[in-house]
Amino acid sequence: MKFEPVELSAAERQLQTEVIEFLDAELPRGSYTPGLGMSAANDVEFSKKLGARGWLGMSLPREYGGQARTAVDRFIVVEQLLRRGAPVGHHWVADRQSGPVIARFGTEEQKHRFLPAISSGEIGFCIGMSEPDSGSDLASLSMRATRDGDGWVLDGTKIWTTNAHHLQYCIALARTTPRDELTDKRQGMTQFIVDLTSPGLTITPIPFIDGTADFCEVVYDHVFVPDSMVLGEVGHGWAQNTSELAYERGGPDRWLSSYLVVEELLRRESAADRQGDDELLDLLGALVPMYWVLHHLSLSVARTIDQGGAPAVESSLVKEMGTRFEQDVVSAVLAYVDEAPNTGDQSLFGVILMNAALTQPSFTVRGGTNEVLKSVASKGLRPTGGER
Amino acid sequence: MSADPLLVETIERLLGDLVTPDLIEHAETTGWSGTTWDALAGAGFPWVGIDESAGGSGGTEFDLAAILAAVGRFAAPVPMAETAMIGGWLLAQAGLELPTGPVSALDGLAEIRGGRLVIDGTAAWGRHADRIVVASGSTVFAIEPGLVEIGPGANIAGEPRDRITADLAVDDVPHAVITGVAAPFDAPFDAQVAARTRGALSRVVMAAGALGAVSQMTIDYAHARHQFGKPIATFQAVQSHLVTAAQCAVAAQMAADVAVRALAGGGTGAVGFEVAAARVVVDGAITIGTRAAHQAHGAMGVTREYPLHQLTRRLWSWRHEWGTTKQWRRAAGACVVERGADGLFPLISA
Ligand SMILES: Cc1cc2nc3c(=O)[nH]c(=O)nc-3n(C[C@H](O)[C@H](O)[C@H](O)COP(=O)(O)OP(=O)(O)OC[C@H]3O[C@@H](n4cnc5c(N)ncnc54)[C@H](O)[C@@H]3O)c2cc1C
Repeated sequence: MKFEPVELSAAERQLQTEVIEFLDAELPRGSYTPGLGMSAANDVEFSKKLGARGWLGMSLPREYGGQARTAVDRFIVVEQLLRRGAPVGHHWVADRQSGPVIARFGTEEQKHRFLPAISSGEIGFCIGMSEPDSGSDLASLSMRATRDGDGWVLDGTKIWTTNAHHLQYCIALARTTPRDELTDKRQGMTQFIVDLTSPGLTITPIPFIDGTADFCEVVYDHVFVPDSMVLGEVGHGWAQNTSELAYERGGPDRWLSSYLVVEELLRRESAADRQGDDELLDLLGALVPMYWVLHHLSLSVARTIDQGGAPAVESSLVKEMGTRFEQDVVSAVLAYVDEAPNTGDQSLFGVILMNAALTQPSFTVRGGTNEVLKSVASKGLRPTGGER
Repeated sequence: MSADPLLVETIERLLGDLVTPDLIEHAETTGWSGTTWDALAGAGFPWVGIDESAGGSGGTEFDLAAILAAVGRFAAPVPMAETAMIGGWLLAQAGLELPTGPVSALDGLAEIRGGRLVIDGTAAWGRHADRIVVASGSTVFAIEPGLVEIGPGANIAGEPRDRITADLAVDDVPHAVITGVAAPFDAPFDAQVAARTRGALSRVVMAAGALGAVSQMTIDYAHARHQFGKPIATFQAVQSHLVTAAQCAVAAQMAADVAVRALAGGGTGAVGFEVAAARVVVDGAITIGTRAAHQAHGAMGVTREYPLHQLTRRLWSWRHEWGTTKQWRRAAGACVVERGADGLFPLISA
C-alpha cells in the first residue's frame, strides 16, 4: 500500500489559485443554491465555461480536445468545485469516467466524436449499469443485446440511471452472449454508447428521498445501437467496466458531499458570536482534522495514478472511510444543533442541513456499497511474506 | 522530504532483531532496557535531528520521525522521543550541554516565581535520565534528577512515567534562554509551547508506527487462524475488521507524515493546526483501529503471551501524553474558529 503526502508544485498551486479566482467571480455566495458534492445541479452553461477554461476532460489527449493534464490537476479543480457545491451535474460523469473510458477503449471515430464535446461541456453522459435485479451483483445483469444487421438491439431495464432525463448519452452494459451459454457470468458482456434520444427508450424519473427526481428508470424496448457505438471489444464489457469503476473511487467527491454543512455552521455560529463554545470547539476539532487527513489521502491517490501506479486498494479504502465520514458529519452537526431538520429554516445552513439529513444514506450506497467495497479492499491486504 | 533509506533500514533491522516480546516484558518489570538503549546510543540514534555542532548526530526531522516510527512499531521501551525530539532538542536550541545518557523532559507545570523554579509534572523514564529538561517561557533548564522529588509511576504499558516535583533556586540549575525563533514556531518563541508541540507530535509518529504494526499483525493472524475449516480472513465480517484497522493505520500515517512535514518547515500548513489535527486523527484511529484488531484476534489478542497487547497498551497510553485528547481537539477547534468560515477550506487543503 502506498500513501505518500503530496507536495503541490508551484504550477499546481497556481492552478488552484486560478480555479479559486474563477469560482469567486463566477459563483459568488448567494448567487446560486449550492448542491451536495457530486449531486449538485445541472447547468450546461456553467459546464461550458469550465470547458472553455480547459477544466473538463483534463486528462484526455490533446488531439481529442483534452488537456493531457494529470490526475492531480483534475483533483485540484474538482475539489474546489465540490467544496462550493458548484453545479457540476451536467458534466460530472462524462468528465470523471465516460471520457477516460472512451479514450481508453473507444475507436478513432468515437474519440473524435465524443471527447471534444465532453471537454467543452456540451454533452453529458450517464451510467447504465444497475438493473432492478442486479445491484451489487452487477455481473448477474440481464439486459440483452441481440445481433441485428449492422448493430445490436437492446432489450431490458436499467434503473437508478442518474440524470438520464437531462443528459445526452449513456454507457450501458448488456449481455451479448446469453447467460446459459457461459460458465462464467462475467463473460459475454459488452459496453454500448447509447444516444438517449434513440427510439424505443422510455425514461422515467424516480422520486428521490428529498423530493427531487434525478435518477431514472430507463426501459430499453428494441433500442438499435449501430456497431459504431460498441465501446471496446464485444464480450469484454466486464473488464472495461471494472476499469471504469477504478476511475470513480477515492476522489474528493467521496468525502466532500456534506462539507458545506460544516462551513455554513461555522459561519452561523461566528455571526452569533458563539465561537468560544466548548461544544463548538469539540465538534469542529473532531470533524475538521478528518477533512484534512482525507484531503491528503485522496490527493495522494491522485499522485500515485500520475506516477503510473494502480492504487485500487488505496482508493477503495479512501472511498469507504470518506463516505462514512460524510455521514458522520451530518449526524454530528444534527446532534450539535439539536433540533429536527425542517423546511422552515430557509437560511443556506438550514437548507443544506435538511438536504444532507435526507440524502445522507445514499453516500455509502452509490458507486458500490461500503460492504462490497470492504470486500474488495480486503483482498488487497496481504499477509507478511505471502500472497493469499 | 523523506528519511534517509539507509537509516530506516538500519533502525528497523536493529530493533527488529533486538526488541523481542520477552525483552519488552522484562523492561516493563524493571522499568529499563539497557540493552536497547545501548544499542541505539551506540549508533547515535538518540541524537538524530540535533545538529552536530550542538553535539547531536545531525539528520533531518524526517530521519527523526523514521526513528520514532520504528520505536512505535517495535514497542521499543526507551526514551527516544524525550531524548531526540523533545529534551535534547531544547538543550541544543538553548546552547546547553547534551549529556551522554538518556534525557527526559517535563510534561506539566513549570513556573518561574521570584527567582525560583517550581515544577510539577510527568517525566518519561525520569528516574533513568541523566537530565530532566524543563521549559518555562523561553527558558530551558537542565535538571539533574538528584535535585528533584521523583515519584515513580508508569503508564498502562509499563513505561516509566514518573511524577516530578521541585522548588529550586533558578541559579542552582543550569539554564539558558532561547533567543532566536526556532522555525516553524511563531514569534515570540515559547519553548514550552514548542516542547508540547514536539512532544505531541512524537506521540503521533510513534502511534502511527504502532498502528501500522497492529494492522499487519491482524492481517497475518486472520490468514493463519482457521475456523469452520478455513482462514478467518475469508469471513466478510472479519475482512471488515481488517479494512477498518488498515484505514486507521493509513490515516494515522498520513497525519503523522503531514504534521512532520509542517515541523520541518515544508508544506504550507501551520504547524499548530497540523499537529493538533494529527493528534485528533490519531486518537480516533487508536480507538477504532485497536478495537477492530482485538476483535479479529479473539481471545488470543488479550493474552500477554501474544504480542498485540504490547502495541495496544502503548497506543492507549500515548494518546493522553503531551496534552490530552480533549485539549488537542479543542486546540484544533480553536484554529478552525480563528480562521472562520472563509478560512476553513484553505486550512483543510493547505
Ligand atoms: C443516489 C444514487 C445514484 C445512483 N446512480 C446510478 C447510476 O447513475 N447508474 C447506475 O448504474 N447505478 C446507479 N446507482 C445504483 C448503485 O450503483 C447501486 O445502488 C449499488 O450498486 C448497490 O446496489 P443496490 O442498490 O441494488 O443494493 P443491493 O445490492 O441490493 O444491496 C443491498 C444491501 O445488501 C448488501 N449486499 C449486497 N451484496 C452483498 C455482498 N456480496 N456482501 C455483503 N453485503 C452485500 C449491500 O451492501 C447493501 O447493504 C445509484 C445509486 C444511488 C443511491
